[in-house]
Amino acid sequence: MNRVWALSVITYKEGIRNRSLFGILAFALFVLGLNISVAGFFMREVGKVTVDMNLSALTFSGLLLVFFVALHLMAKDIDKKTIQLVFSKPLSRGEYILGKYLGILFFVVVSLLALAVFSIATVSLVRGLYPNYFAGFSWPIFFTAGCFVLVQLAVLCAILILFSTVTTSSFASLIFTVCVYLVGVTIEDVLFYIQSGFRTEAISPVVQEVVKVVSYILPNFSMWDFKLEAAHGLAIGAERIGLGLGYAAVYIVVLLALATLFFQRREFN
Amino acid sequence: MAARKLFVLILIVFVGAGVHVGLSRKVWENRQEVRRTTQTGYVFPSQFARILALGHKGLYADYLFLNTLTFFGERQMYRENLTKEDWDYLVAGLDTVTDLDPYFLDPYVLGASLLTWDIRRFDDANRLLEKGTRHRTWDWRLPYYLGFNHFYFLKDYNKGAEYLMEASRRPQSPSFLPTLAARLSYYGDQARTGILFLMALISQTKDERLRNSLLIRKQALEGAALIEERIERFRKERGRAPGDINELLKEGYIEQLPEEPYGGKWLILPTGRVFSTSKFVAPPKKK
Repeated sequence: MNRVWALSVITYKEGIRNRSLFGILAFALFVLGLNISVAGFFMREVGKVTVDMNLSALTFSGLLLVFFVALHLMAKDIDKKTIQLVFSKPLSRGEYILGKYLGILFFVVVSLLALAVFSIATVSLVRGLYPNYFAGFSWPIFFTAGCFVLVQLAVLCAILILFSTVTTSSFASLIFTVCVYLVGVTIEDVLFYIQSGFRTEAISPVVQEVVKVVSYILPNFSMWDFKLEAAHGLAIGAERIGLGLGYAAVYIVVLLALATLFFQRREFN
Repeated sequence: MAARKLFVLILIVFVGAGVHVGLSRKVWENRQEVRRTTQTGYVFPSQFARILALGHKGLYADYLFLNTLTFFGERQMYRENLTKEDWDYLVAGLDTVTDLDPYFLDPYVLGASLLTWDIRRFDDANRLLEKGTRHRTWDWRLPYYLGFNHFYFLKDYNKGAEYLMEASRRPQSPSFLPTLAARLSYYGDQARTGILFLMALISQTKDERLRNSLLIRKQALEGAALIEERIERFRKERGRAPGDINELLKEGYIEQLPEEPYGGKWLILPTGRVFSTSKFVAPPKKK
Protein backbone atom coordinates (compact mmCIF):
# COMPACT_ATOMS: atom_id res chain seq x y z
CA MET A 1 0.00 0.00 0.00
CA ASN A 2 2.95 2.26 0.72
CA ARG A 3 4.11 1.85 -2.85
CA VAL A 4 0.69 2.84 -4.20
CA TRP A 5 0.69 5.83 -1.91
CA ALA A 6 4.16 6.91 -3.03
CA LEU A 7 3.17 6.67 -6.69
CA SER A 8 -0.01 8.64 -6.16
CA VAL A 9 1.87 11.38 -4.31
CA ILE A 10 4.36 11.65 -7.19
CA THR A 11 1.52 11.75 -9.72
CA TYR A 12 -0.26 14.44 -7.72
CA LYS A 13 2.86 16.59 -7.46
CA GLU A 14 3.50 16.24 -11.16
CA GLY A 15 -0.05 17.39 -11.83
CA ILE A 16 0.13 20.39 -9.54
CA ARG A 17 3.38 21.50 -11.22
CA ASN A 18 1.77 21.42 -14.66
CA ARG A 19 1.69 24.88 -16.25
CA SER A 20 -1.70 24.26 -17.92
CA LEU A 21 -3.19 24.59 -14.46
CA PHE A 22 -2.78 28.38 -14.65
CA GLY A 23 -4.65 28.48 -17.94
CA ILE A 24 -7.51 26.46 -16.50
CA LEU A 25 -7.59 28.64 -13.40
CA ALA A 26 -7.70 31.75 -15.61
CA PHE A 27 -10.58 30.25 -17.56
CA ALA A 28 -12.54 29.51 -14.39
CA LEU A 29 -11.91 33.01 -13.05
CA PHE A 30 -13.07 34.47 -16.36
CA VAL A 31 -16.35 32.55 -16.24
CA LEU A 32 -16.92 33.53 -12.61
CA GLY A 33 -16.21 37.17 -13.49
CA LEU A 34 -18.64 36.89 -16.38
CA ASN A 35 -21.19 35.60 -13.92
CA ILE A 36 -20.98 38.76 -11.83
CA SER A 37 -21.63 40.96 -14.84
CA VAL A 38 -24.29 38.79 -16.49
CA ALA A 39 -26.33 38.04 -13.36
CA GLY A 40 -27.90 41.51 -13.43
CA PHE A 41 -29.39 40.92 -16.90
CA PHE A 42 -32.06 38.67 -15.44
CA MET A 43 -35.29 39.86 -13.94
CA ARG A 44 -35.70 37.82 -10.79
CA GLU A 45 -33.74 34.62 -10.84
CA VAL A 46 -30.30 36.12 -10.27
CA GLY A 47 -29.54 33.40 -7.73
CA LYS A 48 -30.44 30.61 -10.09
CA VAL A 49 -28.32 32.04 -12.90
CA THR A 50 -25.40 32.50 -10.52
CA VAL A 51 -25.57 28.89 -9.33
CA ASP A 52 -25.94 27.64 -12.93
CA MET A 53 -22.89 29.52 -14.05
CA ASN A 54 -20.79 28.58 -11.02
CA LEU A 55 -21.49 24.87 -11.22
CA SER A 56 -21.03 24.85 -14.98
CA ALA A 57 -17.74 26.73 -14.61
CA LEU A 58 -16.57 24.13 -12.07
CA THR A 59 -17.62 21.32 -14.43
CA PHE A 60 -15.91 22.84 -17.48
CA SER A 61 -12.70 23.49 -15.54
CA GLY A 62 -12.81 19.97 -14.16
CA LEU A 63 -13.20 18.58 -17.68
CA LEU A 64 -10.21 20.59 -18.84
CA LEU A 65 -8.22 19.24 -15.90
CA VAL A 66 -9.10 15.65 -16.79
CA PHE A 67 -8.81 15.98 -20.57
CA PHE A 68 -5.48 17.78 -20.57
CA VAL A 69 -3.56 17.51 -17.32
CA ALA A 70 -4.73 14.08 -16.18
CA LEU A 71 -4.32 12.69 -19.69
CA HIS A 72 -0.78 13.99 -19.74
CA LEU A 73 -0.04 12.42 -16.34
CA MET A 74 -1.28 9.07 -17.55
CA ALA A 75 0.28 9.09 -21.00
CA LYS A 76 3.65 10.57 -20.16
CA ASP A 77 5.08 7.43 -18.55
CA ILE A 78 4.25 5.36 -21.59
CA ASP A 79 5.17 7.96 -24.23
CA LYS A 80 8.52 8.79 -22.65
CA LYS A 81 9.20 5.19 -21.68
CA THR A 82 9.75 6.17 -18.04
CA ILE A 83 7.33 3.36 -17.26
CA GLN A 84 10.24 0.92 -17.71
CA LEU A 85 11.93 2.65 -14.82
CA VAL A 86 8.79 2.41 -12.69
CA PHE A 87 8.45 -1.32 -13.35
CA SER A 88 12.06 -1.92 -12.39
CA LYS A 89 10.83 -1.18 -8.86
CA PRO A 90 8.85 -3.79 -6.93
CA LEU A 91 5.46 -2.47 -8.09
CA SER A 92 2.76 -4.61 -9.67
CA ARG A 93 0.76 -3.32 -12.63
CA GLY A 94 -2.39 -3.31 -10.59
CA GLU A 95 -0.69 -1.17 -7.98
CA TYR A 96 0.53 1.13 -10.74
CA ILE A 97 -3.02 1.66 -12.05
CA LEU A 98 -4.41 2.24 -8.57
CA GLY A 99 -1.58 4.61 -7.65
CA LYS A 100 -1.99 6.62 -10.83
CA TYR A 101 -5.75 6.81 -10.39
CA LEU A 102 -5.52 7.98 -6.78
CA GLY A 103 -2.86 10.52 -7.69
CA ILE A 104 -4.92 11.94 -10.54
CA LEU A 105 -8.05 11.96 -8.41
CA PHE A 106 -6.24 13.73 -5.59
CA PHE A 107 -4.92 16.30 -8.06
CA VAL A 108 -8.40 16.92 -9.52
CA VAL A 109 -9.95 17.21 -6.05
CA VAL A 110 -7.35 19.69 -4.81
CA SER A 111 -7.55 21.83 -7.97
CA LEU A 112 -11.30 21.86 -7.86
CA LEU A 113 -11.34 22.77 -4.18
CA ALA A 114 -9.16 25.77 -5.01
CA LEU A 115 -11.67 26.76 -7.69
CA ALA A 116 -14.53 26.16 -5.27
CA VAL A 117 -13.08 28.83 -2.99
CA PHE A 118 -13.38 31.36 -5.83
CA SER A 119 -16.82 30.05 -6.65
CA ILE A 120 -18.01 30.52 -3.07
CA ALA A 121 -16.59 34.04 -3.12
CA THR A 122 -18.47 34.79 -6.37
CA VAL A 123 -21.77 33.45 -5.07
CA SER A 124 -21.36 35.41 -1.83
CA LEU A 125 -20.55 38.57 -3.78
CA VAL A 126 -23.52 38.30 -6.15
CA ARG A 127 -25.70 37.41 -3.18
CA GLY A 128 -24.49 40.55 -1.46
CA LEU A 129 -25.30 42.61 -4.57
CA TYR A 130 -28.79 41.16 -5.08
CA PRO A 131 -29.86 39.91 -1.63
CA ASN A 132 -33.56 39.77 -2.57
CA TYR A 133 -33.10 37.30 -5.38
CA PHE A 134 -31.56 34.43 -3.47
CA ALA A 135 -34.68 33.23 -1.67
CA GLY A 136 -34.40 29.61 -2.72
CA PHE A 137 -30.65 29.39 -2.39
CA SER A 138 -29.14 26.88 0.01
CA TRP A 139 -25.43 26.31 0.64
CA PRO A 140 -25.77 22.61 1.59
CA ILE A 141 -27.53 21.80 -1.70
CA PHE A 142 -24.99 23.90 -3.61
CA PHE A 143 -22.15 21.96 -1.96
CA THR A 144 -23.85 18.64 -2.64
CA ALA A 145 -24.11 19.53 -6.32
CA GLY A 146 -20.45 20.62 -6.24
CA CYS A 147 -19.40 17.31 -4.68
CA PHE A 148 -21.24 15.46 -7.43
CA VAL A 149 -19.26 17.42 -10.02
CA LEU A 150 -16.27 15.75 -8.36
CA VAL A 151 -17.98 12.36 -8.57
CA GLN A 152 -18.49 12.88 -12.31
CA LEU A 153 -14.83 13.74 -12.70
CA ALA A 154 -13.78 10.71 -10.64
CA VAL A 155 -15.68 8.46 -13.04
CA LEU A 156 -14.21 10.30 -16.00
CA CYS A 157 -10.67 9.79 -14.64
CA ALA A 158 -11.31 6.06 -14.41
CA ILE A 159 -12.56 6.06 -18.02
CA LEU A 160 -9.44 7.95 -19.07
CA ILE A 161 -7.22 5.40 -17.30
CA LEU A 162 -9.00 2.52 -18.96
CA PHE A 163 -8.52 4.00 -22.43
CA SER A 164 -4.90 4.86 -21.68
CA THR A 165 -4.23 1.19 -21.01
CA VAL A 166 -5.80 -0.04 -24.25
CA THR A 167 -4.69 2.57 -26.78
CA THR A 168 -1.14 3.27 -27.84
CA SER A 169 -1.65 6.95 -28.48
CA SER A 170 -2.67 9.50 -25.88
CA PHE A 171 -4.65 11.41 -28.49
CA ALA A 172 -6.80 8.35 -29.13
CA SER A 173 -7.53 7.96 -25.43
CA LEU A 174 -8.48 11.66 -25.28
CA ILE A 175 -10.92 11.24 -28.17
CA PHE A 176 -12.43 8.08 -26.67
CA THR A 177 -12.83 9.67 -23.24
CA VAL A 178 -14.44 12.79 -24.70
CA CYS A 179 -16.81 10.59 -26.71
CA VAL A 180 -17.79 8.54 -23.67
CA TYR A 181 -18.39 11.76 -21.74
CA LEU A 182 -20.57 13.23 -24.50
CA VAL A 183 -22.59 10.04 -24.73
CA GLY A 184 -22.79 9.82 -20.94
CA VAL A 185 -24.29 13.28 -20.51
CA THR A 186 -26.78 12.87 -23.36
CA ILE A 187 -27.74 9.20 -23.20
CA GLU A 188 -30.59 9.78 -20.75
CA ASP A 189 -32.34 12.34 -22.91
CA VAL A 190 -31.75 10.29 -26.05
CA LEU A 191 -33.14 7.15 -24.46
CA PHE A 192 -36.20 8.87 -23.03
CA TYR A 193 -36.76 10.66 -26.30
CA ILE A 194 -36.77 7.36 -28.19
CA GLN A 195 -39.13 5.83 -25.66
CA SER A 196 -41.47 8.83 -25.69
CA GLY A 197 -44.22 9.24 -28.22
CA PHE A 198 -43.00 12.68 -29.26
CA ARG A 199 -40.81 11.65 -32.14
CA THR A 200 -42.05 12.40 -35.61
CA GLU A 201 -40.37 9.62 -37.52
CA ALA A 202 -40.13 5.96 -36.76
CA ILE A 203 -36.80 4.93 -35.31
CA SER A 204 -35.53 1.55 -36.40
CA PRO A 205 -35.65 -1.14 -33.73
CA VAL A 206 -31.94 -1.82 -34.26
CA VAL A 207 -31.07 1.74 -33.24
CA GLN A 208 -33.39 1.48 -30.26
CA GLU A 209 -31.69 -1.71 -29.12
CA VAL A 210 -28.22 -0.24 -29.63
CA VAL A 211 -29.11 2.80 -27.54
CA LYS A 212 -30.51 0.56 -24.85
CA VAL A 213 -27.37 -1.59 -24.75
CA VAL A 214 -25.16 1.52 -24.70
CA SER A 215 -27.19 2.89 -21.80
CA TYR A 216 -26.17 -0.15 -19.77
CA ILE A 217 -22.50 -0.06 -20.75
CA LEU A 218 -21.76 3.65 -20.47
CA PRO A 219 -22.40 5.63 -17.31
CA ASN A 220 -25.43 7.90 -17.13
CA PHE A 221 -23.88 11.18 -16.02
CA SER A 222 -27.31 12.70 -15.32
CA MET A 223 -27.41 10.58 -12.17
CA TRP A 224 -24.67 12.80 -10.75
CA ASP A 225 -26.09 16.06 -12.04
CA PHE A 226 -27.73 18.13 -9.32
CA LYS A 227 -27.24 21.53 -10.91
CA LEU A 228 -30.98 22.08 -11.33
CA GLU A 229 -31.67 21.25 -7.68
CA ALA A 230 -28.87 23.54 -6.53
CA ALA A 231 -30.10 26.36 -8.77
CA HIS A 232 -33.55 26.34 -7.17
CA GLY A 233 -32.67 25.06 -3.71
CA LEU A 234 -34.75 21.90 -4.17
CA ALA A 235 -34.10 19.21 -1.57
CA ILE A 236 -32.18 16.18 -2.83
CA GLY A 237 -33.42 12.87 -1.49
CA ALA A 238 -30.96 10.67 0.41
CA GLU A 239 -31.86 7.83 -1.93
CA ARG A 240 -30.63 9.74 -4.97
CA ILE A 241 -27.39 10.62 -3.22
CA GLY A 242 -26.81 7.05 -2.03
CA LEU A 243 -27.71 5.55 -5.40
CA GLY A 244 -25.51 8.06 -7.19
CA LEU A 245 -22.50 7.37 -4.99
CA GLY A 246 -22.98 3.61 -5.22
CA TYR A 247 -23.39 3.73 -9.00
CA ALA A 248 -20.18 5.76 -9.31
CA ALA A 249 -18.16 3.60 -6.89
CA VAL A 250 -19.10 0.34 -8.59
CA TYR A 251 -18.43 1.77 -12.03
CA ILE A 252 -15.00 3.06 -11.01
CA VAL A 253 -14.05 -0.30 -9.46
CA VAL A 254 -15.07 -2.17 -12.60
CA LEU A 255 -13.18 0.27 -14.86
CA LEU A 256 -10.00 0.07 -12.78
CA ALA A 257 -10.19 -3.74 -12.67
CA LEU A 258 -10.61 -3.81 -16.45
CA ALA A 259 -7.74 -1.36 -16.85
CA THR A 260 -5.50 -3.59 -14.71
CA LEU A 261 -6.53 -6.59 -16.80
CA PHE A 262 -5.60 -4.88 -20.06
CA PHE A 263 -2.48 -3.36 -18.60
CA GLN A 264 -1.16 -6.71 -17.42
CA ARG A 265 -1.36 -8.12 -20.93
CA ARG A 266 0.31 -5.12 -22.47
CA GLU A 267 3.92 -5.26 -23.58
CA PHE A 268 6.24 -2.29 -23.41
CA ASN A 269 9.28 -2.12 -25.59
CA MET B 1 18.20 48.98 -43.94
CA ALA B 2 17.06 47.42 -40.66
CA ALA B 3 15.73 50.76 -39.47
CA ARG B 4 13.69 51.14 -42.65
CA LYS B 5 12.24 47.68 -42.27
CA LEU B 6 11.25 48.48 -38.70
CA PHE B 7 9.67 51.74 -39.82
CA VAL B 8 7.62 49.99 -42.49
CA LEU B 9 6.46 47.38 -40.00
CA ILE B 10 5.40 50.00 -37.46
CA LEU B 11 3.63 51.90 -40.24
CA ILE B 12 1.73 48.79 -41.26
CA VAL B 13 0.69 48.19 -37.66
CA PHE B 14 -0.57 51.75 -37.16
CA VAL B 15 -2.33 52.10 -40.50
CA GLY B 16 -3.79 48.61 -40.10
CA ALA B 17 -5.05 49.42 -36.60
CA GLY B 18 -6.66 52.62 -37.86
CA VAL B 19 -8.40 50.86 -40.72
CA HIS B 20 -9.48 48.10 -38.35
CA VAL B 21 -11.16 50.54 -35.97
CA GLY B 22 -13.02 52.14 -38.87
CA LEU B 23 -14.06 48.77 -40.22
CA SER B 24 -15.22 47.51 -36.81
CA ARG B 25 -17.58 50.41 -36.53
CA LYS B 26 -19.04 49.48 -39.91
CA VAL B 27 -19.24 45.82 -38.91
CA TRP B 28 -21.20 46.61 -35.74
CA GLU B 29 -23.57 48.94 -37.56
CA ASN B 30 -24.10 46.27 -40.17
CA ARG B 31 -24.76 43.59 -37.57
CA GLN B 32 -27.24 45.81 -35.77
CA GLU B 33 -29.15 46.36 -39.00
CA VAL B 34 -29.02 42.66 -39.87
CA ARG B 35 -30.33 41.66 -36.46
CA ARG B 36 -33.10 44.22 -36.62
CA THR B 37 -34.33 43.21 -40.04
CA THR B 38 -33.79 39.46 -40.04
CA GLN B 39 -36.69 37.19 -39.81
CA THR B 40 -37.32 35.53 -36.52
CA GLY B 41 -34.91 32.90 -35.39
CA TYR B 42 -35.51 29.26 -34.89
CA VAL B 43 -35.61 27.61 -31.50
CA PHE B 44 -34.61 24.01 -31.17
CA PRO B 45 -37.53 21.91 -29.98
CA SER B 46 -36.92 21.07 -26.35
CA GLN B 47 -36.26 17.36 -26.88
CA PHE B 48 -33.24 18.28 -29.01
CA ALA B 49 -32.23 21.24 -26.89
CA ARG B 50 -32.04 18.94 -23.87
CA ILE B 51 -29.53 16.74 -25.70
CA LEU B 52 -27.68 19.72 -27.13
CA ALA B 53 -27.21 21.17 -23.65
CA LEU B 54 -24.66 18.41 -22.88
CA GLY B 55 -25.63 18.18 -19.26
CA HIS B 56 -25.78 21.94 -18.73
CA LYS B 57 -29.51 22.42 -19.14
CA GLY B 58 -29.66 25.21 -16.57
CA LEU B 59 -26.94 27.21 -18.28
CA TYR B 60 -28.44 26.62 -21.72
CA ALA B 61 -31.83 27.72 -20.42
CA ASP B 62 -30.27 30.93 -19.10
CA TYR B 63 -28.62 31.60 -22.45
CA LEU B 64 -31.76 30.89 -24.44
CA PHE B 65 -33.86 33.06 -22.15
CA LEU B 66 -31.38 35.91 -22.50
CA ASN B 67 -31.60 35.49 -26.29
CA THR B 68 -35.38 35.64 -26.22
CA LEU B 69 -35.27 38.65 -23.94
CA THR B 70 -32.79 40.46 -26.21
CA PHE B 71 -34.86 39.67 -29.28
CA PHE B 72 -37.95 41.17 -27.70
CA GLY B 73 -36.01 44.09 -26.24
CA GLU B 74 -34.48 45.01 -29.62
CA ARG B 75 -37.85 45.06 -31.32
CA GLN B 76 -39.25 47.18 -28.52
CA MET B 77 -36.31 49.57 -28.74
CA TYR B 78 -36.92 50.26 -32.42
CA ARG B 79 -40.66 50.35 -31.77
CA GLU B 80 -41.28 47.71 -34.36
CA ASN B 81 -44.46 45.76 -34.37
CA LEU B 82 -43.98 42.12 -33.72
CA THR B 83 -45.34 39.85 -36.40
CA LYS B 84 -47.14 36.62 -35.71
CA GLU B 85 -43.90 34.77 -36.46
CA ASP B 86 -42.10 36.92 -33.89
CA TRP B 87 -44.64 35.99 -31.25
CA ASP B 88 -44.43 32.32 -32.25
CA TYR B 89 -40.69 32.56 -31.79
CA LEU B 90 -41.14 34.12 -28.38
CA VAL B 91 -43.58 31.41 -27.30
CA ALA B 92 -41.34 28.63 -28.67
CA GLY B 93 -38.35 30.15 -26.87
CA LEU B 94 -40.18 30.33 -23.55
CA ASP B 95 -41.46 26.79 -24.04
CA THR B 96 -37.99 25.41 -24.63
CA VAL B 97 -36.48 27.41 -21.77
CA THR B 98 -39.08 26.11 -19.34
CA ASP B 99 -38.66 22.55 -20.64
CA LEU B 100 -34.93 22.77 -20.02
CA ASP B 101 -35.46 24.21 -16.56
CA PRO B 102 -39.10 23.94 -15.48
CA TYR B 103 -38.38 25.73 -12.19
CA PHE B 104 -37.12 28.93 -13.88
CA LEU B 105 -39.44 31.73 -12.75
CA ASP B 106 -38.47 34.54 -15.15
CA PRO B 107 -39.77 33.01 -18.40
CA TYR B 108 -43.14 32.28 -16.78
CA VAL B 109 -43.48 35.84 -15.55
CA LEU B 110 -42.39 37.28 -18.90
CA GLY B 111 -44.82 35.03 -20.76
CA ALA B 112 -47.66 35.82 -18.37
CA SER B 113 -47.30 39.55 -18.84
CA LEU B 114 -46.42 39.84 -22.55
CA LEU B 115 -48.73 37.18 -23.92
CA THR B 116 -51.81 38.48 -22.14
CA TRP B 117 -51.65 42.29 -22.20
CA ASP B 118 -49.78 42.71 -25.50
CA ILE B 119 -51.10 40.04 -27.79
CA ARG B 120 -53.93 38.35 -25.88
CA ARG B 121 -52.68 34.83 -26.48
CA PHE B 122 -54.25 33.55 -23.29
CA ASP B 123 -53.93 29.87 -24.17
CA ASP B 124 -50.17 30.13 -24.52
CA ALA B 125 -49.84 32.26 -21.39
CA ASN B 126 -51.99 29.90 -19.32
CA ARG B 127 -50.24 26.81 -20.65
CA LEU B 128 -46.90 28.26 -19.56
CA LEU B 129 -48.29 29.28 -16.18
CA GLU B 130 -49.82 25.85 -15.63
CA LYS B 131 -46.47 24.25 -16.30
CA GLY B 132 -44.91 26.62 -13.76
CA THR B 133 -47.66 25.91 -11.22
CA ARG B 134 -47.02 22.17 -11.56
CA HIS B 135 -43.29 22.50 -10.99
CA ARG B 136 -42.87 25.46 -8.65
CA THR B 137 -45.14 23.91 -6.04
CA TRP B 138 -43.97 26.36 -3.37
CA ASP B 139 -44.69 29.49 -5.40
CA TRP B 140 -48.11 31.14 -4.97
CA ARG B 141 -47.53 33.71 -7.73
CA LEU B 142 -48.04 31.39 -10.71
CA PRO B 143 -51.50 30.07 -9.73
CA TYR B 144 -52.31 33.63 -8.73
CA TYR B 145 -51.50 34.91 -12.24
CA LEU B 146 -53.58 32.06 -13.64
CA GLY B 147 -56.47 33.05 -11.41
CA PHE B 148 -56.10 36.63 -12.52
CA ASN B 149 -56.08 35.69 -16.23
CA HIS B 150 -59.24 33.64 -15.80
CA PHE B 151 -60.92 36.35 -13.82
CA TYR B 152 -59.84 39.44 -15.76
CA PHE B 153 -59.39 38.26 -19.35
CA LEU B 154 -61.39 35.07 -19.73
CA LYS B 155 -64.24 35.92 -17.30
CA ASP B 156 -64.16 32.34 -16.08
CA TYR B 157 -64.82 33.04 -12.40
CA ASN B 158 -65.06 29.46 -11.21
CA LYS B 159 -61.73 28.51 -12.69
CA GLY B 160 -60.23 31.77 -11.50
CA ALA B 161 -61.40 31.13 -7.95
CA GLU B 162 -59.99 27.60 -8.11
CA TYR B 163 -56.55 28.95 -9.02
CA LEU B 164 -56.73 31.62 -6.34
CA MET B 165 -57.59 28.95 -3.79
CA GLU B 166 -54.61 26.96 -4.99
CA ALA B 167 -52.44 30.08 -4.64
CA SER B 168 -53.71 30.83 -1.15
CA ARG B 169 -52.74 27.33 0.04
CA ARG B 170 -49.11 27.96 -0.86
CA PRO B 171 -46.58 29.35 1.61
CA GLN B 172 -46.18 33.10 2.07
CA SER B 173 -49.21 33.91 -0.06
CA PRO B 174 -50.80 37.23 0.90
CA SER B 175 -53.59 37.05 3.44
CA PHE B 176 -56.11 38.72 1.11
CA LEU B 177 -56.12 35.78 -1.30
CA PRO B 178 -58.68 33.65 0.55
CA THR B 179 -61.10 36.55 0.75
CA LEU B 180 -60.54 37.32 -2.91
CA ALA B 181 -61.08 33.72 -3.90
CA ALA B 182 -64.26 33.52 -1.85
CA ARG B 183 -65.62 36.71 -3.39
CA LEU B 184 -64.70 35.53 -6.83
CA SER B 185 -66.33 32.20 -6.33
CA TYR B 186 -69.42 33.94 -5.03
CA TYR B 187 -69.72 36.05 -8.14
CA GLY B 188 -68.81 32.95 -10.09
CA ASP B 189 -72.06 31.30 -8.94
CA GLN B 190 -70.53 28.97 -6.42
CA ALA B 191 -71.24 30.20 -2.93
CA ARG B 192 -70.96 26.64 -1.62
CA THR B 193 -67.38 26.22 -2.94
CA GLY B 194 -66.49 29.48 -1.27
CA ILE B 195 -67.88 28.25 2.06
CA LEU B 196 -66.00 24.96 1.89
CA PHE B 197 -62.82 26.79 1.00
CA LEU B 198 -63.25 29.16 3.91
CA MET B 199 -63.88 26.29 6.32
CA ALA B 200 -60.65 24.61 5.24
CA LEU B 201 -58.78 27.84 5.69
CA ILE B 202 -60.33 28.64 9.07
CA SER B 203 -59.19 25.28 10.39
CA GLN B 204 -55.63 26.07 9.32
CA THR B 205 -55.53 29.70 10.38
CA LYS B 206 -53.93 30.44 13.74
CA ASP B 207 -53.93 34.22 13.47
CA GLU B 208 -56.91 35.32 15.57
CA ARG B 209 -57.80 38.47 13.61
CA LEU B 210 -57.66 36.79 10.23
CA ARG B 211 -59.63 33.86 11.63
CA ASN B 212 -62.40 36.14 12.83
CA SER B 213 -62.65 37.95 9.52
CA LEU B 214 -62.82 34.59 7.72
CA LEU B 215 -65.55 33.41 10.10
CA ILE B 216 -67.63 36.52 9.37
CA ARG B 217 -67.23 36.03 5.63
CA LYS B 218 -68.23 32.41 5.98
CA GLN B 219 -71.35 33.44 7.88
CA ALA B 220 -72.24 35.92 5.12
CA LEU B 221 -71.76 33.35 2.37
CA GLU B 222 -73.81 30.80 4.30
CA GLY B 223 -76.62 33.30 4.61
CA ALA B 224 -76.51 34.09 0.92
CA ALA B 225 -76.34 30.41 0.01
CA LEU B 226 -79.38 29.65 2.22
CA ILE B 227 -81.48 32.40 0.64
CA GLU B 228 -80.42 31.33 -2.84
CA GLU B 229 -81.47 27.79 -2.06
CA ARG B 230 -84.95 28.99 -1.00
CA ILE B 231 -85.23 31.17 -4.12
CA GLU B 232 -84.46 28.09 -6.17
CA ARG B 233 -87.22 26.15 -4.40
CA PHE B 234 -89.59 29.07 -4.95
CA ARG B 235 -88.77 29.15 -8.62
CA LYS B 236 -89.32 25.41 -9.00
CA GLU B 237 -92.70 25.43 -7.24
CA ARG B 238 -94.09 28.70 -8.61
CA GLY B 239 -92.43 28.76 -12.00
CA ARG B 240 -91.15 32.30 -11.43
CA ALA B 241 -88.62 34.14 -9.35
CA PRO B 242 -89.72 35.94 -6.16
CA GLY B 243 -90.07 39.69 -6.54
CA ASP B 244 -88.02 40.45 -3.45
CA ILE B 245 -86.77 38.99 -0.20
CA ASN B 246 -90.00 39.83 1.62
CA GLU B 247 -92.00 37.64 -0.74
CA LEU B 248 -89.96 34.67 0.44
CA LEU B 249 -90.81 35.55 4.04
CA LYS B 250 -94.47 36.15 3.34
CA GLU B 251 -94.92 32.92 1.44
CA GLY B 252 -93.21 30.96 4.19
CA TYR B 253 -90.21 29.84 2.22
CA ILE B 254 -87.99 31.17 4.94
CA GLU B 255 -89.00 31.78 8.56
CA GLN B 256 -86.40 34.33 9.34
CA LEU B 257 -83.74 36.01 7.25
CA PRO B 258 -80.24 34.98 8.24
CA GLU B 259 -78.16 37.65 9.92
CA GLU B 260 -76.06 39.71 7.56
CA PRO B 261 -72.79 39.96 9.49
CA TYR B 262 -71.56 43.04 7.64
CA GLY B 263 -74.71 44.91 8.69
CA GLY B 264 -76.26 45.32 5.23
CA LYS B 265 -79.63 44.26 3.90
CA TRP B 266 -80.14 41.18 1.73
CA LEU B 267 -80.95 41.86 -1.92
CA ILE B 268 -81.98 39.74 -4.85
CA LEU B 269 -80.05 40.79 -7.92
CA PRO B 270 -81.74 40.72 -11.34
CA THR B 271 -79.58 37.68 -12.12
CA GLY B 272 -81.22 35.77 -9.29
CA ARG B 273 -78.13 35.94 -7.10
CA VAL B 274 -78.36 37.11 -3.53
CA PHE B 275 -76.21 39.96 -2.40
CA SER B 276 -76.14 42.54 0.30
CA THR B 277 -76.22 46.31 0.46
CA SER B 278 -72.97 46.04 2.44
CA LYS B 279 -71.35 44.35 -0.58
CA PHE B 280 -69.84 42.01 2.03
CA VAL B 281 -67.43 44.67 3.18
CA ALA B 282 -67.24 45.62 6.84
CA PRO B 283 -68.36 49.23 7.40
CA PRO B 284 -65.50 51.55 8.36
CA LYS B 285 -65.14 51.74 12.12
CA LYS B 286 -66.45 54.94 13.68
CA LYS B 287 -63.98 56.89 15.68
